[in-house]
Amino acid sequence: MANIAAKRIKREFKEVMKSEEVAGGAIKLELLDNSWTELQGEIAGPPDTPYEGGTFLLEIKVPETYPFNPPKIRFMTKIWHPNVSSVTGAICLDILKDQWAAALTLRTVLLSIQALLSAAEPNDPQDAVVAKQYKENPTLFALTARHWTHAYAGGPAAIRDFDAKVQRLLDMGVDEHQARVALSTYDWELERATEQLFNREE
Amino acid sequence: MAGYFEEMGWRELQEGEQPNHLLHMARFLIDFGMYEDNFSGEWPRLPPPASKEAVQNLPEVTIDSESKNCPICLKSFHSGDKAKEMPCHHQFHPTCILTWLERTNSCPFCRHELPTDHEGYEAFKKEKKRAEQRKEDLDTLHNSMFS
Ligand SMILES: [Zn+2]
Ligand SMILES: [Zn+2]
Repeated sequence: MANIAAKRIKREFKEVMKSEEVAGGAIKLELLDNSWTELQGEIAGPPDTPYEGGTFLLEIKVPETYPFNPPKIRFMTKIWHPNVSSVTGAICLDILKDQWAAALTLRTVLLSIQALLSAAEPNDPQDAVVAKQYKENPTLFALTARHWTHAYAGGPAAIRDFDAKVQRLLDMGVDEHQARVALSTYDWELERATEQLFNREE
Repeated sequence: MAGYFEEMGWRELQEGEQPNHLLHMARFLIDFGMYEDNFSGEWPRLPPPASKEAVQNLPEVTIDSESKNCPICLKSFHSGDKAKEMPCHHQFHPTCILTWLERTNSCPFCRHELPTDHEGYEAFKKEKKRAEQRKEDLDTLHNSMFS
């Protein structure tokens, strides 16, 4: 790895460790290898959002050209959010693309991703299905996001009715994650979700 | 076919005639929707590098404190270090800022923009400014009529 990238990550790592956000448990940063190219980030779901109480892991890959090019970041923890792919965890956030600036750091980027959880941008979606639900049925969106936070990010137990519907599909032999995706996609209408799951397998 | 070109006010290039670059630029701008009244366009990709001239003219300064660091590499400056200063007064190691400005034209700290050598981008910026001015004029007019 280019020297400047590794050196800068080392300096940033110290900065993050000293920051009050780490002290307050809002963000965390861990090294995954000794070459300083792969890190794991962690953000706490912001209060008063459906993500509250959840802990979300992020994969961080630092390119050789860092900080002249942005780090590559995606969610490892599955999340229901208009700007994050529910399939790959890819994030749609301008500072990770065209709006990257060399003075941004892993700390400011993690805080920006955390802010995105508080204020979604449904008009610039990464996941069209989630964005549609967010716009057309915000209450159901929030419940679904909370359900995912419970299922994947260790958030508080949420909606019994949703759990029961997932269980119904599990009893039919459907994979748990597929069941959750189908139900979330079809606004928790068990019949439509079932139809879609079983038609696809033909 | 000839009828169509005539109708559009277009004609074939004559012997030795060059295509009109300004015309191409204008069509490019129209395609971007820049001449519409509600112009609110964003440049659709990373803005181009800073112009060679602007980069050459960045003043070099001598650091006189130990408390600042270069926002690009995050290394601390030492008293007596040479640095390049942007018009927004942010200071960087020369190699750090020159590498960045070869990629895009703005201050990596506050996004203050330097001019570029890219005609399309410069035209875009002008039109954006004009659109903002138009909006301001309309607001002033509106306020003067209804207050
Ligand atoms: Zn530097
Ligand atoms: Zn600046």
